[in-house]
This record gives sequence, structure tokens and C-alpha cells, in this order.
Amino acid sequence: MSRRFALFLFALAILAGCTRQPAQDPEQIAAKFTAGPLPFEDPASKLWQQAPEHPARLLPQNLTEPMLTEPGVDIVKVRAVHNGEWVVFRLEWNDATQDLIPVTGRSCDAAAIQFPLASDGDVPDAAMGEKGKGVRILYWKAVWQDDATRAQAGRGDRIASLYPNAAIDHYPYEAGAAARVEMEKRYAPARAAANPVTVPPSGTPVQVLIAEGFGNTRVAPAQTARGRGQWVDGRWVTTIARPLRGGADLGNLEPGRRSYVAFAVWDGARAHTGSRKMRSEWTPLILRNQ
Amino acid sequence: MARVYNWQIGRSMTYWYSENRPKRQFGAVFDINKCIECQTCTLACKTTWTSGRGQEFMLWNNVETKPYGSYPLAWDMQLLNRLGPQTWKGSQYTGRTIFESLPPGQRVLGTPRQDTDYAYPNVGEDEIYGEVVKGGSLSLPQQMWMFYLARICNHCTYPACLASCPRSSIYKRQEDGIVVIDQSRCRGYQECVKACPYGKVYFNPSTGTSEKCIACYPKIEQGIQPQCFVNCIGKIRVQGWINPPDRLREDNPIDYLVHVRKIALPLYPQFGLEPNVYYVPPIHVPDSFLIQMFGPGAPAAVQAYRNARHDKALAGLFALFGSTEHTIPYFKIVGDSAVALDDFRRELVRVPIYEPVHVRPERDRLYQVMRSNTT
Repeated sequence: MSRRFALFLFALAILAGCTRQPAQDPEQIAAKFTAGPLPFEDPASKLWQQAPEHPARLLPQNLTEPMLTEPGVDIVKVRAVHNGEWVVFRLEWNDATQDLIPVTGRSCDAAAIQFPLASDGDVPDAAMGEKGKGVRILYWKAVWQDDATRAQAGRGDRIASLYPNAAIDHYPYEAGAAARVEMEKRYAPARAAANPVTVPPSGTPVQVLIAEGFGNTRVAPAQTARGRGQWVDGRWVTTIARPLRGGADLGNLEPGRRSYVAFAVWDGARAHTGSRKMRSEWTPLILRNQ
Repeated sequence: MARVYNWQIGRSMTYWYSENRPKRQFGAVFDINKCIECQTCTLACKTTWTSGRGQEFMLWNNVETKPYGSYPLAWDMQLLNRLGPQTWKGSQYTGRTIFESLPPGQRVLGTPRQDTDYAYPNVGEDEIYGEVVKGGSLSLPQQMWMFYLARICNHCTYPACLASCPRSSIYKRQEDGIVVIDQSRCRGYQECVKACPYGKVYFNPSTGTSEKCIACYPKIEQGIQPQCFVNCIGKIRVQGWINPPDRLREDNPIDYLVHVRKIALPLYPQFGLEPNVYYVPPIHVPDSFLIQMFGPGAPAAVQAYRNARHDKALAGLFALFGSTEHTIPYFKIVGDSAVALDDFRRELVRVPIYEPVHVRPERDRLYQVMRSNTT
């Protein structure tokens, strides 16, 4: 072999290494261990290249009414990294439109990861769990993230963002401080009732939910999850993180021990909300020790 | 799905939940013939409940012109088109309700809505049906017609919003039958927004939850009629309680108008919700349109209304409309007066059935001028 040809082969090998697709693991989600800082809110971190990618297949929710009758996002690519204390998931899916603020007939983009509460391997129904065998859900919602982004940038609220050219003569609650307190209760009853969907814009865009079947989702007492989504060129890439030891509120994950997760994705442009969603079955999750 | 009895369509039907009528059911009668579409009711409601951020487009009470007006846009036309043949055999509805025309995987036959549907609250306002040709406006009876339709939530016996909510965030109050959304539980799925065939549930983008008319229940609890009733300058409305026909009371004003005299009719009974706001139909509109909108009893109701002036009980009841801010559970006719009574049969208000009529000579002899009626 000539020296020139050997150099060519070497260059080809380097090139192949650079352009190699990340390893895929179609059987399970293998969370890569890292001793360094985790990319909690960084979907673009290079660290993700080290974690194998699991393509989780999604199906329309067609078990309970109201169902999804037309399919939406059919696959979500999942990677995970952990440091022995936290695990961060990276979800990537195609979505042609970025839907941030829900209005009539249109919802916001969202994604969720579901865990069985019990860690004994006897998993409940993958469709929101079942009575006595609950699940915990980490629910990322684009509107909550957008609220925080707008607040940090000093931009307007949801209404100003939706209808920038709207002219409003007067709101009665602007009459004074006392009126504002009283009238906001009357005119924003969900907020006055401390409904958890009306989270303040400074909060995390990921909420921890508890469910024991369809229709009884509630917010967990302790909120420990975090994450961030990025929409670029028709694609959402979103991180969702949780502590491994979530206790009674979130359940525990142990390195080296097999657990399970399931996923759901909502497409706002298709008015996906609630049970109108694309969902997966349980997928094995293993947190690598090294 | 359960089987329930809906007296407005004269038969049982399927519904998501079993029959569970409240102890008392909010009921109301609107006399369409008196409405001038001043929108005072709309503003009374707006300033009371929906002047907040995210509620700009909400009109829990609205008044639209029929046949062309609609808010939200085409709320009734869309569903009438999708519901299929709406046929009646006598007083029994032989078509399908929205609970019986279910698309696969759905709880009700809903109507897709979008935010622009609320952008034209005055569409079709004052537009007449038919053309004014060859002096048509000067001849009687006039062929052209329109009328004003004031609308609030109907606080239905079988609410589609309630049936559609997968979280059971909507409930019907046992004490008064008012349908409300639990604002601490709603997660803004908008199923109710699509499900209500009357378009009376709204999504608030500011809070991310859905909201609707609450029939001013804080007032109802004090025995006072809602804001849109007491502010109606045309006195077209009365609020009380309605019983099912097998438990009707002749001294209950709503029962009397709806069940006994059948002069007040539900709006689109064929949808199947058993709505509890009843309308005295307009007297100048073709029967075919009225039957489509108020069911087969509309022509007889129009006839009864035409004769109401000569009927002391009916004339007295209409005189009680707008005569008191109190809810009127009972009434009685005493001589030439109509009397509204509270739950304990105590007198709330007494009004003359017929106002005295004074006919003045056309010429004023004192001032030597002709009188006119233009004040």
C-alpha cells in the first residue's frame, strides 16, 4: 500500500468519524453517565452526542374519549444523561409550526415524560396509569416557557403578543391599586383560584403531575423538574430534567436498575390538548453506571 | 352513555351521564317581540364579569340579529348543516341530537371554533330577510323580516360542555341548576368550547382556562335576578325556576308560560340539551324559520301571543316582566293586578295588568294647537 493511499484511508476514517450518526438504541433509553455539569436547559449541548438515541414511536391516543382521530407527530427521538443525582432527557421531534400561546381552536406545543411511581418493575397502564398504581409526569409546555421569555425580555403579556395591534380603551382594574386587586379576582378567576395552569411567568416550563388514569391529573405538591425547549427549522428539541431520588412525589430511579418511561407530544397547530395527543408505550430506561 | 328523558324533544336520548335533575332549575323567559337590541344587557354583563385581560372578545350575554347575525360566527348555521335532517313527528323529534351523531372517538358532535369567529359580533346586524321592492315597506303584512335574539348560557339540563369535559371540571349546581366551570380545576382543553352548540363557552388565552356565563349566581343566591335581566330596559326578561312538565305548577310563572300555555319555547331543542332559557317567538317571522329555531310549537305560540292581551293571566305575567329585581318563583292574578310572590308566598311586587288608556282630542282647545304623538 502506498503511503499516499494509506493517508487517504486515514483521512477517510477521520471524516467518517466526524460525520458518523450518533449511536442508536432501538430497544431502550440508555442514559449516559457524566461526572460534569448536566445540560439542564441546553438542548444543543455537545454532550448529547455521547448519548445513544432512542426513537420512540408514538401512536394516537385512541383509548378514551375524546380521542385523537388523525395522527400527529409519530416519532420522538430521546437521549438521556445523568450524573448520579439528576437525569436530563432530550426530546427531539418534527413540528412544522411553533405554537406558543393557545387561543380558541389552537393550543400550544407540549411534550411529557411519564414514570411509574413504583420502582418494582410492575408498571401500570401506560395510558396515564391506573387506580392505585399511579404515574408521575413531567410536562413541558411551550406557553409557560414563552411567558418567562417574554417577561425576561420586557415584552408584553400573552394578549399583547397575540394581538399586537389591538387597541383597548380601558380596563376597569386599572382604576387603582385596590381596584386592581379586587377586579383581577373577578376577571381572572382561574388565577384567583390558584389554578396551577396559570403558573407565573418566572416559573419553570416543566410541571410535575400526578395521575391514576385519565381525567384525574393533578399537580404534585413538590415541583422539582426543569427544562427548556428550542424550536429551530421545523423541529423542537427540548430538555426535561428530574432528580433521581424524587421520593414520594416523584419516585426513585437507581443507576444500573431498569425502569420505564413513556412519552407524549402535543401539536398546538392541530389543537392537540389533554387526551388528544400522540403517546408511546412504556420504554425501558437504564441509567448507565459509567 | 346513558339513556335520559328530554321532554323538549318528546323522547329519551343518549347522554354521557345518567339523568340527574337538580333540586331546582334556573329558568328564564325572553320575549323576543319586545327586544330592541339596545345591548344594555350585553354591557351590564360585560362590565360585571368580562372586563379583564383575555376576556376582551367574550360576551357571555349577546344580542344578535336573525336571520343573518351570529356570535360567534355562524354558531348555529354550522351545526344545523352538520346535524343532518331535523324532522319532527308531532311534538317528538325524529332526527338526531348532538349526543346521537357522534363522530368516532368524541363525546359530542362539536363545532370547531377559532379566535376570528369572535371578531364580528355585529355581523348581520339589522339586515332583513328579503328585498324591499316596489314600496314593499309600505304594505302590510310586510314580507321582509328580522328580529333580535338575546342569548346567554342556557344552563341546560343536559349540558354538552359538561359532557365533553374529560376532567369533569364542569358541574351543574344541585341548588339551582346553574352550570359552572371549576376555575381551579380547568386545564383549558377547550373541549367545552367546541361542544357547546350555542357557542357560549369561551377560552381565555390570558389564564389558559375556559370561562362561561354563571347566571350571576351570587345574585341568584340572594333571590335577585341576574345583571342582564334587571338592566333590560325593554323588560323582555323574567327569571324564575322551571320544573319538568310532570311536576309543573300553574302558579310558577316559568312553568305557566312554558308548560301550561306553551307560549315560550326552547332555542334549537333538536340539539338535545334541554336548554332552560325560553323564548316567546317573534310574531312576524315565517313559520318554517321559527319551527327550525324553536321547534314545532312555534306557530301555536305565536297565535297565543297574539291573543295574550285578552287573557288576564298571560297579560298579567307579561306585565310582571322587568317589574322587580327579585327572582319570581310564584305569581297570582288578583282582580286587575298581577302579583309576584317569593318562596314564602310573600308579595314582591304588584302591577296593573292593563295600564289606563287616555284618549285625548287631537286638538288642544286651550292652546289652539294640534297635538301630535311625537312628544
